[in-house]
Amino acid sequence: MAELHIIGQIIGASGFPQKSLFCKWEVHTGGAWRLLSGLKEGQTQVDSPHSGEMAYWSHPIDLHYATKGLQGWPKLHLQVWHQDSFGRYQLYGYGYCHVPSSPGHHRISCVTWRPLGSWQEQLARIFVGGGPQLRNPDLIYSGADRYRLHTEAMGTVNLELGVIIRHFDKHGVES
Amino acid sequence: MASSRDILEKLAMKHRALQETLVKNKHADDVQALVPSAKVNVGKLQPTMKAAESSDEDPGETLKRTLRAQRQRRKELLLSKSSVQESHNNEETEEVSTIKRYSPNDKLADKTEESSVISIKPPSGSYGSATPQPSSSVFLDTFVTQHLQEKLRAARSKGEKLQQLEASVQSPSRLQQLRDRDTVTRFDTRQVDPVGAGRHDDPPVLHNRIKFREAARRVRDLPTAEESYNFFTFNFEPDRPNERLSRKRQIRRKSAEEARDEEEGKAAEVEEDAGGEDDQDETVNQSDEAHLVQNADDLFVIDHSPQDFLVVKKAEYVSYHTRIQQESELFTPSFRTVPASVKLPENMKPRFLEEEGLYVGKRPAISLTNENILENRLLKMDEGRKWFGDDGRIITLPDPVKESSTRPPLADMEEDLHPALQTVYRRPLKSMYGSSDPTGDYQIDVNVSGLIFSHHPLFSREHVLAARLAHLFDQYLTRRQSNLSGHLTDKLNGLRNALRNVVKVHGDQDLPQALQRRIFEYSLEVRNTRHLRDMEQEKDRTLLKNIIKVWKEIKALREFQTFTNTPYKLYLRRENVDLAADEHMYEEEILTEALEIEAEHEEDYQKKLAEYKKQQEEWKRWRKKQKAKKKKKKKKKRGQTQDDTDEEDQDQEGSESEGPFEEGPPKPEPPERPDFDSIEQWVREKASRIRRKPGEVILTPELSASGSITPSELCPRAEVARREDVSKRSLFIKVLYNDKEVSRTGSCSLRSDFRVQFTQLFHLKILNCPQSMNLQVFEQIGSSSSLLAQVFVPVPEPSVVTGSAPVETFEFSSNQRVMFDHEGVGSDVPLSFEPDGSNKVILLTSGKLACCVSWGIGEDDVPRAPPVSQQLGAAHSGLGHLDAVTYIGASGLYDMKKISEWATQSRLDPNDPNNASIMQLLKVASSGEVTAPDYFRLEHLQEEFNFATDEEMEKSKRFRLLRLRHQGVPEFRNYKFVPAFSSETSEEVFKEYDRRLRDEEIINKEEHLDSHRALVARYLQKIRESVINRFIQAKHHYLLSDLVVEEEIPSIGGAGSGILGLNLFKLAEPKRPLKPQRKERKKVTAQNLSDGDVRLLINIIRAHNIPVRKPHSNKPGQSSQSAIQGSEWFISQVQVKPFVEVSFQRTVLQTTTADGPNPSWNEELQLPFSAPNGDYSTTGLQSVKDEVFINIFDEVVHEAAASNKERRPSVHTQTEKHWLGSVKIPFSTIYSQSRIDGAFRVNTPAVLLGYSKEHGSFAAYDHFRKPNEGTFIRLFITMEPQLVPGEAIREKIKEMTFESQEDERLLQASETFERAAALRYPDRPCITTVIDLNGKTVFITRYIRPLKPPQEFLDAFPNNPQEATTLVARYVSLIPSLPDELSFCGPCDLWSTCDQFLTLLAGDEEEHAVLLCNYFLFLGKKAWLIMGTAIPEGPTAYVLTHEPSGFFIWNPSSGQCFERDDTFCPLQTIGCLVSSDNVWFNIQEKASPVNMSFDVTNTSWWKPFFSRSFSHPGLSSVQPEELVYFHTDRAAASDLQDRIEKILKEKVMEWRPRHPTRWNRYCNSILKQFLPKLELSRGQDVAKAHRHELQNLLGDYRIAGFPLHMPFSEIRPIIEAVYSTGVHNVQVSNVEFALAVYVHPYPSYVLSVWVYLASLTRP
Repeated sequence: MAELHIIGQIIGASGFPQKSLFCKWEVHTGGAWRLLSGLKEGQTQVDSPHSGEMAYWSHPIDLHYATKGLQGWPKLHLQVWHQDSFGRYQLYGYGYCHVPSSPGHHRISCVTWRPLGSWQEQLARIFVGGGPQLRNPDLIYSGADRYRLHTEAMGTVNLELGVIIRHFDKHGVES
Repeated sequence: MASSRDILEKLAMKHRALQETLVKNKHADDVQALVPSAKVNVGKLQPTMKAAESSDEDPGETLKRTLRAQRQRRKELLLSKSSVQESHNNEETEEVSTIKRYSPNDKLADKTEESSVISIKPPSGSYGSATPQPSSSVFLDTFVTQHLQEKLRAARSKGEKLQQLEASVQSPSRLQQLRDRDTVTRFDTRQVDPVGAGRHDDPPVLHNRIKFREAARRVRDLPTAEESYNFFTFNFEPDRPNERLSRKRQIRRKSAEEARDEEEGKAAEVEEDAGGEDDQDETVNQSDEAHLVQNADDLFVIDHSPQDFLVVKKAEYVSYHTRIQQESELFTPSFRTVPASVKLPENMKPRFLEEEGLYVGKRPAISLTNENILENRLLKMDEGRKWFGDDGRIITLPDPVKESSTRPPLADMEEDLHPALQTVYRRPLKSMYGSSDPTGDYQIDVNVSGLIFSHHPLFSREHVLAARLAHLFDQYLTRRQSNLSGHLTDKLNGLRNALRNVVKVHGDQDLPQALQRRIFEYSLEVRNTRHLRDMEQEKDRTLLKNIIKVWKEIKALREFQTFTNTPYKLYLRRENVDLAADEHMYEEEILTEALEIEAEHEEDYQKKLAEYKKQQEEWKRWRKKQKAKKKKKKKKKRGQTQDDTDEEDQDQEGSESEGPFEEGPPKPEPPERPDFDSIEQWVREKASRIRRKPGEVILTPELSASGSITPSELCPRAEVARREDVSKRSLFIKVLYNDKEVSRTGSCSLRSDFRVQFTQLFHLKILNCPQSMNLQVFEQIGSSSSLLAQVFVPVPEPSVVTGSAPVETFEFSSNQRVMFDHEGVGSDVPLSFEPDGSNKVILLTSGKLACCVSWGIGEDDVPRAPPVSQQLGAAHSGLGHLDAVTYIGASGLYDMKKISEWATQSRLDPNDPNNASIMQLLKVASSGEVTAPDYFRLEHLQEEFNFATDEEMEKSKRFRLLRLRHQGVPEFRNYKFVPAFSSETSEEVFKEYDRRLRDEEIINKEEHLDSHRALVARYLQKIRESVINRFIQAKHHYLLSDLVVEEEIPSIGGAGSGILGLNLFKLAEPKRPLKPQRKERKKVTAQNLSDGDVRLLINIIRAHNIPVRKPHSNKPGQSSQSAIQGSEWFISQVQVKPFVEVSFQRTVLQTTTADGPNPSWNEELQLPFSAPNGDYSTTGLQSVKDEVFINIFDEVVHEAAASNKERRPSVHTQTEKHWLGSVKIPFSTIYSQSRIDGAFRVNTPAVLLGYSKEHGSFAAYDHFRKPNEGTFIRLFITMEPQLVPGEAIREKIKEMTFESQEDERLLQASETFERAAALRYPDRPCITTVIDLNGKTVFITRYIRPLKPPQEFLDAFPNNPQEATTLVARYVSLIPSLPDELSFCGPCDLWSTCDQFLTLLAGDEEEHAVLLCNYFLFLGKKAWLIMGTAIPEGPTAYVLTHEPSGFFIWNPSSGQCFERDDTFCPLQTIGCLVSSDNVWFNIQEKASPVNMSFDVTNTSWWKPFFSRSFSHPGLSSVQPEELVYFHTDRAAASDLQDRIEKILKEKVMEWRPRHPTRWNRYCNSILKQFLPKLELSRGQDVAKAHRHELQNLLGDYRIAGFPLHMPFSEIRPIIEAVYSTGVHNVQVSNVEFALAVYVHPYPSYVLSVWVYLASLTRP
C-alpha cells in the first residue's frame, strides 16, 4: 500500500552522432504496482539543436504508483530515435535505467546502445538509413544473454527525477 | 614595535612553511632561483662549523649575512622571552637543519649555474632593502646579541658531537617528541598567523624561508620513515652507533665524489639523509635547552594576572591575498614545451628508433598541453629522467585502443540466438506522426511473360479466321488431351458389364433388397454416364466440324485475296477403319442403348402408374369426405339458431384453413405408356448426329504454322498499309498495385502474328495490404499511347510463392471502337465473311495475357508473404484462424484429442507466444505423462514479499479516488484535493458515482416524470458518450496556437492597431467621448483561472414597453374598489416602477427602481462565476449548464393601513415585487460569444393580473405587422476577464476529416465554398456540410424535404392556412431546446434528422428550424433555412418564408414570426439560405434582413453553391419520407399534470420555510379551469375576459399572478422558472397562494405546460 511519486523530466540527450533526436519512453513495473495517475509512456518531440550538441526535450514525467510489494520497482525504458533530413526516422539507441529508490532529487544519465548488425546492415545503414532493431525490444531489458548481441555505444539520455515515497516505512522498508 | 611585528611575521612564515610540507612537489624554478640567496644566508652561519666555505664571500655579502644573523638572534631572544617556547625550538631546529641541507646544493649552484646566480640577484637585493626596517638602536643591540648567539651555537655544536652516540639510541623517542612538538607548533602558529599575515611585506624573505622550511621538512621526513622502519624491524645492537657513523662517513665521501661530477641529485639526497640525522640530534639538544628556558619563563609568569591565561584571538580569517599567495606556492607545472636537451642525458642527441627502422607502436593520443605538463612534472621528480626514452619523449606503451572490435565473433552461437535478441533490419520509417512499426516487408513478384491477341483492330480477315481456327484447335487439343468421351465410354461399358454380371449371377431369383438397390443404382449411373458421354461426343463432333469449316473459309479467303497473312495450315489425318467391325460396334451400341432406354422408360412408367393409383385413391377419399361434410353442414344449418353463427364462422374459417390442403390432390391423370418404337428411332438419330458413321474415316486435325506468308511486295496496297500499321505499333504493360502504378514493362513492338513477348519480372516490395493488382495493357503508336485493356489479377494467396506458381493466362478485352481504311478489320465494327454481307459479327479487341503473380522469396528461402492470420482484405477473410470453439464445440475443449486435431487443422503457429499454453498442453497430452508441475512463475517470490494484498489495494478509498480522477470519470474530473489518508476519504464521495453505475440500466422515472422521456434521456446519454469518444481524438490533435502563445507584435505604422497610430489617436481623442466605443479586451486562456477570478458583467441599459399597472377604475364591483383604495392615488400617478433582478448561480442582484413603462437603468451588475469543480478548462466551461435569469419586477408599495390601530399618523408601507417578465440567457451562449449586446424580447406571461399591455402578444402572424409590441430589454453581457471560447477546438474539428458518404468532389467543393465565404465575410456563417448523429459529414441540403405535420393541425383550420401555419410553428417551438454544446460536451454541432429530433425531443435551433422549414414546405410555402446569427443565440438557424405579402422570418424555437423589416427581429446577420436543392451565400453589402434582398436568383447578391459549372448531383434526402406521430396519451398527460402540481406545491412550501403557506383551493380550481382556454387560444386575447372573470370571483383579494408557459422537457426547468418569478417571496402574513398546472398533449409526446401561479392577499 505504499505509494511512489516519480516527478521529473527527460532533459535531453547528448553524445549521439546526429542531432535531431526524439525519444520514446515507457515506465515498466512489476505486477505488484498499480498506476494511480499519470502517463506511463510517451514520446518527446524532435529536437534539432542549432547550437550545441545536446538535444533538449524537457519532457515531463509525472507518475503516481501504488504498490503492494517491492518487486518490479519501476524502470524507465528509453528509445532514442533520429529523424533525418528526409523526415524519416530510425532507431538510435536503447537504454534503460531504474527509477531511484531513494527519495529526493536525482540526476540520471542513461547510456544507450544500438545493435550493430551484420556488415551488410551496417553498410546499408550508412547509405540508405534505417538500421537493425530488436525484434522484441521489451525482452532485452531482462534478457540474460544480451552479451551475444553486437552493439555499438550511443549517447546518453539525461533525466532528472524527483522521487517521493510514502508509507514504505510502514511495511518495514527503510529508505 | 618592529620586532614584535617580526615575530608575528616569522610565526606566520613558519606556519606557512609547515603547510608547505603537505605539498610534495616543490616549485623547481623557485628553488633554483632561491638557491643563491639561500647560500648567502647559509654561508653566514656556516663559519661556525665550516669556516672554509665562507672564506670566498665578498664583504657586501657578509654585511647582509650579519644582518640576517642579527635578526635571527633578536628573534630568538624574543621568542625565549615569550611563552611560545615550542615554536622557538622548532624554529631553531629548522634553521640549523637548513644549513646542512643546502650545503651540497650550494656547490652545485656555484659551479654549474653561474648565470642563474646572477639572475637571482634582484630578489636578494630586495631582501636587503627590506631589512633596514629595524631601528638603529635595535640594530646595535642585536649585533651584540648575535655574537652571543653565535658563541652559544658553537658551543652547542660541540655538545652535539659529544652527544651523537646517545642521540642515535634515543632517536625513536626523540622522534616522537619532535612529532608532538611539530603538531603543537602548527597549532600555535595557526593561531597567531592571521595577525602577521596582513602585514607581510617582504616576499623574497618569505620565499627563502619557505624553501628552508620545505627543505627541512623533507629532510626530517625521510629519516622518519626509515627510522620508524628500523625501529620496528631491527634489533638495535650495541655496535649500531659505530655502524651508523661509518655509514655516514661513507656517504660523506660519496657525496664528495658525486659533487664533483654533478650529474645527479642522488648524492644530495643521501646527504640530506645524513644531514637529517644530524639535525635531529641537534634539535634534541635544543629542546633540552628550551626546556630550561621554558621553566624559567613559567616561573616568571606566575606573578602575572589570571587574565594572561586567556588569549583574545581574532577571528580566523585567511585573507584573499594570502590565499592567492598560498596558491601561488603550489607547484604548478608549466605547460611549455620542455627542450629536448633537458629531458635527455647530457650531450646526447635524441635517437629515433622509428627512423632506424625499428617498430614502434602508435602512441596514444594525448593533447600537447597535457604532455608538456606531464614532462615538466616528471623532470622535477627524483629520477625524473628515467621516464624519458631515447627520443626525448615520455616512454609509452603503444596505443591500446584497437580500431576494430576485439570481441570474439561468437559465430557458433549466432544460430541459437535467443529470439528476443535477434535483430531485424528496419529501413527508416516515414510516417506523419511516428505511428507504430511496420508489420514487415513483403514482396510480390509479378512476372509478365507476354500476351496474345485473339482479336486486334489490325487483324485482317484472314487473321480473324486464323485466330478462330487457332482457338478451336486449342479447344480440340485440350479436349483430346482430357479425352472425356473416351473415358465416359469406358465407364459406361464397365457399368454395363457390372450390371449384366449382377443380373446374370442372380438370374431371375428373388433379389435381396440390398442387391436390388445396387442394381437400381447401377442403372441410374449408367443412365447418367450415357447422357454425359452423349454430350461430350456431340461436342467433339461439332468442334471437329467447326474446325474444318473455318479452315475451308480460310482457304477460300486466301484464294480470294491472293495472298496469305497467316502461316496456319490445317492437316487432316485420315485413319481408315474396318468397316464391318465398325458397323457391328455401332449397331450393338445402338441396340444396347435402345434397350436401356426402353427399360428405363418402362420403369418410369411403372412408377408413374403406381403414383397415379395412389393419388387416385387419395382423391377419392377426399371426395367422400367432402361429401360427408357438406351433408353435415347442411344438417347443422338447418338445426341451428342465431347464436351459433359464431361457431359456424369458426367452422368456416377452419374449413377455409383446411381448404388448400383438401383441394391439394387434383384429380390425377393416368400416365401415358411410352412408345417403344420411337425410342430406337430416336437413338439412331442421335447417334448419327453425334457419332461418326460406321465406316467413316477418323479425322485428326493438325494445325501447323509452317505456311509461308506472302511478302509485302506482292500484296495489294491496302494490305501493305495494314502491315505497316502493325509494325508501327508497340505495346507495354503497366503494373498497378493498389491503384498506383509501380512499374511498367519496356515497350515491345507488335509482331505480325499479334503476339508480344515481355518476359519481365517485377519485384514489388510492399508495405500496404494488397487490395488490388492490375495490369494495364497500353498500345503505343509513335509517342502517343492509349490504354487498351485492363487485367485484374487476383492477389495471390500467401502459399503461392515464386518458383512454384504456374504462369496463368488472363483474358482481357476492350470495347474500344477502331476503324481503318485499310485491310485491318477494326474493333467493335460489324464484320461479315459472307459475300452478301449477312451473318455479321462484331469483334472486340481481346486477348490473353500470360503472367504470374506470387509472393517473393527472401534470401533465406522464407516467403515474404504476410502471415495467414493477417487478413488481406475481405477477399481473404476465409483464410483466418479456425475458431477453436466453433470447430470442436465448447464441450470438446476438454477432449484432448479434439484439441490436437483442431490445432493441426488450424495450423497453429507453435512459436506464437499466444499459443504457448495450448502447445504445452498438447505436448503433455501427446507424451501421455503428467509430469510434476514444472510451471514457470512470472514474479518469483512475489507473494511472499507482498506487504499488502490486492483486496487491500482495491479497498483503499484514496487510491480509488485517485484512479477515478485519473480516468476522467465525470464525477471526479478536476477533483482537486484528494485526502492524504484513506481514512480521511469519506464514502460520500463515491456515493453519486456508485449510484450512477447502479442506475445505468435502471431508468429513473422520478426525475423525468415520463417514461418516454427517460428512455430518450438514456439514449441521448449513449449518443453523448460515443460522440465524446469520437472527439477525444480531436482534442489530442494540437494546433500550434495551443502550444505556442504568442503576443502579436503591434505594427508601428498601422492606423488603428499600431503603436504610433494608437498613440496619435489617443492624443487627439476627447477624454469623454460622446459615443464611447467598447474596446476589445485581451483574451485570457482559461486554465490559469480559479474561483472568483471570473465575473459576469451584465449591463442593463433600458427597457421598452413594460406592462403598466391597470387603473382599477374599469373594474366593476365595490369590493375591488375598496381593496385598492389605499394605493389608488399612487396608481393614478405611477404607471409602473420596474426594476431588474438578475440571478445567476443563486446569486441575485438587482438594479434600482425606475419609473414608467420605458425605464432606463444603465446599471452594471457584476455576478461572480464559479465553474463546476473549479474546472476552468474550455470543455469544463462549455459544459456549464447554468442560465442567467433576468427578471423584471414591478415594485409595488402599499400602505399597511389596517395594522394601524392607534391614532398616530404613522404609515406602514409594504413593498411587494410583482413579476413582469424574464429573459433567460444560457451561460454557454455568453461563453461562446464572449459578449452579448442587444435588445431582447422579454418573456412575458400571457396574462398579468393587474397589468395591461398595449397589445396582445404574438400569435396569429397577421398581427405581427404592428410595430413595437412586446416588451424589450436592452442588455450588454460579457465576462471579465474575457475567456477564450472553444474556437480552437472548433477549428480542430474542422481539420479532422469525418468519414462521409458524400462524393469526394462535393466535399471538396463545399470546403472551398466555405473557405471562400469565410475569407470574404468572416462574420457571416456559411454552412454547407454538417455532421449527423453518426458523426458523418452530410451535405446540408439533404436535410430539407417537405414533411407532413401532424394531421390534427391540418384539420384544425381547414379553411385558414395561416392558422395552421401558426399552429405548426407553435408545435415546433414546443419541442424542448437543448444546445448541442451542452448535450454533447464539446463544440460539435450535430444535426439530427426530423424523426430523430422528434424521438429525442431535444435539439438545437437547427433541428427546430429544419423541422419548421420542412413543415412549411409541406404546407406549400416557399421556405428556406436561414443560417445566420441572432441574439442571444449567436450562430443559429431561422426559417424564411415567402408569402404573397412579403418575406417572413420565423424563429423556430419560439414560434415567433417577424416581418422582414421588423427592427426587433432578433436575427442580426444572414449568412446563407438553404433549400432542398441549393445553398446560397449572402454576398450583399449588408447582412441584416432589413437591408437585404431575398431574390436568390440574382447571383450578384446570392452566391449559389450549385451553379451551372457544378450542377446539383441529385442528392437524396436523409429525412424519412414521412414522419410517424404517436398519439400522446391524455391520461399520461393529466398524470404528469398532477405530479407537477404536487411537486411545485411542495417546492413553494419549501421555499417559504418561515411562513405558513396556505393554498386557496377555490382559486386553484378557478385557475385550473382557465388554463385550457389559454392553451386553446395560444395565450392571447383572453386576458381581458379572464381578468374580469377572476376579479368577479375573487373580488376581495388583491391578486398578483400570471400563467407561465413552457415546453416540457424535465421538471427542473419548471421549478427554476417558478422560483425565478419570486411569487413565493411575499412576506405578508395573510397571503394565500393559488397554483394550477395544465399539461396539454400534442402528438409525439410534445407537451405544453402551463403553470398558473398567483398570490392572494386579503386586504
